[in-house]
Amino acid sequence: MNKKLLSLALAGALGLSLTACGGGTTSQPSTNPSTQPSDAQESAAQTESDLQYVKDKGTLVVGITYFEPMDYKAEGSDEWIGFDADMAKEFAESLGVSVEFQEITWDYKVEELNSKAIDCVWNGMTLTDEVLSAMGTSNPYCTNYQVLVYSSDKAADFEGLTSLEGLNVAVESGSAGEDAAVALGATTVPVQSQANTLMEVAAGTSDAAVIDVLMAAAMTGEGTSYADLSYSLNLNDAQGLESEEYGVGFRQGSDLVDAFNSFWADEVASGSALEIATTYGLQDAVILE
Amino acid sequence: MIEFFTSDTFQTVLAALNSGFLKTLQIFFFTLVGALPLGLVISFGSMSRFTPLRWVTRTVVWAIRGTPLVLQIIALFYVPGIQKWFTWPSGESGRMTAVCVAFIINYACYFSEIYRGGIQGVPKGQQEAGQVLGMTKSQIFFHITLLQMIKRIVPPMSNEIITLVKDTSLARVIALQEVIWMGESFMKGNSGISGLVWPLFFTAVYYLVFSGIVTMLLGKLERKLAFFQ
Repeated sequence: MNKKLLSLALAGALGLSLTACGGGTTSQPSTNPSTQPSDAQESAAQTESDLQYVKDKGTLVVGITYFEPMDYKAEGSDEWIGFDADMAKEFAESLGVSVEFQEITWDYKVEELNSKAIDCVWNGMTLTDEVLSAMGTSNPYCTNYQVLVYSSDKAADFEGLTSLEGLNVAVESGSAGEDAAVALGATTVPVQSQANTLMEVAAGTSDAAVIDVLMAAAMTGEGTSYADLSYSLNLNDAQGLESEEYGVGFRQGSDLVDAFNSFWADEVASGSALEIATTYGLQDAVILE
Repeated sequence: MIEFFTSDTFQTVLAALNSGFLKTLQIFFFTLVGALPLGLVISFGSMSRFTPLRWVTRTVVWAIRGTPLVLQIIALFYVPGIQKWFTWPSGESGRMTAVCVAFIINYACYFSEIYRGGIQGVPKGQQEAGQVLGMTKSQIFFHITLLQMIKRIVPPMSNEIITLVKDTSLARVIALQEVIWMGESFMKGNSGISGLVWPLFFTAVYYLVFSGIVTMLLGKLERKLAFFQ
């Protein structure tokens, strides 16, 4: 008799243990609505207004990677600066919210957006077909093209090259540079960020790298960490393509896109877009229309 | 040499690695605090005499142990938001919470099997002796089985705990800035420094020192529990 009761109690305990086990996965979520009261209405509101969601939340979370001169930190400082970072601060101010910069893994930018871990990708993002189809994108604000970076003492080998066949070329995984390198027949070495591609070339583990000209200009040559690297060759010309354009990415169908576009028009009209661009040497690249 | 260690660069790198290692430690301790008890609960489930419960528990353990932890972290962090179930709190804390939940579930499953081995390894005669003395099942578990189980599981648990020290580096997949991320950040650029590889390899020192301390503590615990011999 006693034994039967015991086994019942034990079964009960085990039943509890199972719910506790399941609870491990769900207890975290269930605490969430209490910390973010707006969450309950959020799923419904998302289809209505992403802008309202950000305003209610009070912060605009900007997804970035380290990218001089767009989003970077000056020596000895912990503050994100750069053309994109400074404009993002202005944009957040215009919305009346605070800004928060979140470093992300570039491959996961769309998932970061859709899971609401970030609210926009604002990091010198080239408006490729993939980006245009996966995100709500702003009007282009900056022009760019892809260049080939190589070590200066091998510059002669790269003069007037029209194809990259037979070369190991480091590229940022999922970037426009990767597309260009593949189109020109290179054997690609995809790494995590554009900056890591320079490391590959400096270490001699790749023959060359394909990155954005803006970054190549800022990070290679005299007075930079990569003084032994140089760049040339407009790969967009080599492929007979137009120059690329940078845009800001939001969630698909988000009304933040319109908010951004009108914000940008104001900044251009008031001249502050050009002013900030000039600070970072981008006066030729910024689009002022 | 001394100049190098007093240089601004070294100080900057050290400060960044320290802040990264603090997050590594947070993951480590939160995981242990959560997974040690949860593992025991799961081990009860997988030993249950109630067959459906036993099967469900064992299936869950199989699924968790049979898939890469890195995949579980990515899924746990991104899927809820994409499916609109809920969103993790924004910023660093949300990433930390998601990582800790993934680690706790994963490690609890591994721990549960170690617990199960420990419990089933206690000779049946011990429980029978308890029954003869008229002890209840829970008395038998807490006063007879548990202590002997703990003695038995210390070496395999040490193994898992040392592995956990290094597994924390998986958190960087969702851009949680633990020590390896911070080490790598100086390759691409951080605080105006870029193109440095040594900070990445220097993180090994942190792992070595910390796992040395953990090994020492676990060895001490093992000696302390060696009182039946």
